[in-house]
Amino acid sequence: MNTPWTTESLYEALRSDSTADLEGVELNLVGGVDATVSIVMREQGDLAMQLAVSGEQIFVSSPLCLASQVKDRNAFNEACLRLNPINPLSNLGLQRVGDEDLYIVFGELSSRSPLQAVVEEIHVLADNTLQAAEAFADQLK
Amino acid sequence: MAIWTKIITLFRGAAHEAGTAVVDANAMRILDQEVRDAQTALLRARDDLAKIMAQRKMANDKLADKKAKQLEYSNYIREALARDNRGLAQEVATKLATIEADIATETKIIGEFDASIGKLQTSSRQAETVIQRLKQQIDTVKATESVQRAQAALAAQHAGTGAKLGTALDSLERIKQRQTERAAQLSVAEEMAAHTGEDGDLQRRLAQAGIVPGESSADSILARFETPAPKALGHDSVAQLGHADSVANKNG
Repeated sequence: MNTPWTTESLYEALRSDSTADLEGVELNLVGGVDATVSIVMREQGDLAMQLAVSGEQIFVSSPLCLASQVKDRNAFNEACLRLNPINPLSNLGLQRVGDEDLYIVFGELSSRSPLQAVVEEIHVLADNTLQAAEAFADQLK
Repeated sequence: MAIWTKIITLFRGAAHEAGTAVVDANAMRILDQEVRDAQTALLRARDDLAKIMAQRKMANDKLADKKAKQLEYSNYIREALARDNRGLAQEVATKLATIEADIATETKIIGEFDASIGKLQTSSRQAETVIQRLKQQIDTVKATESVQRAQAALAAQHAGTGAKLGTALDSLERIKQRQTERAAQLSVAEEMAAHTGEDGDLQRRLAQAGIVPGESSADSILARFETPAPKALGHDSVAQLGHADSVANKNG
């Protein structure tokens, strides 16, 4: 079995591996004790995603929309639940961020995943988030 | 083990505290404690397993001894009977009866040990699975928390500026805007290319007409030198000179 990634080792690998397909993807290591990798997708409207590794899991999260941007929360929640099973490789979720509720699209991988799988997750997640935002356009303010 | 129930309860407790992480440090400690308890239980089960397996081995060794004795005594009986010593055969047979009873008892005990070993192995495996799941849950909560904290920090950066936390909606807007800009740039470029195209066409036609020097300037030069020729050589020669033809006509 591979050695599991840590947030730091994964960040270093993503930055130093020239074979990784990361054009237009800006990466920054943020924070001290529980560091995260801040990802900005320059070619996808500067979509800002976050990545963190903890033990056996890699968690990548992308902000879909604020709850305050949703016209009808009940209808939107149901639409999200219905979209979730047919959304490839990503999940939809709701999180408290600061003093607001934020709908997120997120993916989880094993922290022993090969680098290529992590890179793919980043691209797929950005794509899925934008597609979801587009699909939900008429439900959002 | 209702891990989900516990985590959902933790969520409920913290969900409405603005700006705080989903699961507070206390709750995390409870989950960590639970993993440690499960690990202690697992170690105890493995200890018990080791003890029972040792006991089983001892019982099995004893059984092997008894079986060897059984074989030995059976041979003695056969030998004694062969030598017509029935009294001795009888004496050995009595001992053999005890040994065979012991063998039956030991076999039964070993069967019981095997059943216990099987149960302990199953529960160890189950405990391992529970621990692994619980750890995964904790990992997920921790990773989620880190990401949430990072997003909250981003939100805090925006808070002072009056701007909202950037989401996919903003990105979509940006993509559309950039597409519009790109489309505008493209149409300007196309227009410029079209203009250059028109100019090029005009230049070519001017050159063809001999008004500006074009690709056929060598011919024009030659024609210029040979212009007086028609007068001297007559019409036959003029026809052969090609381009000079039009020049000659103009002159005429």
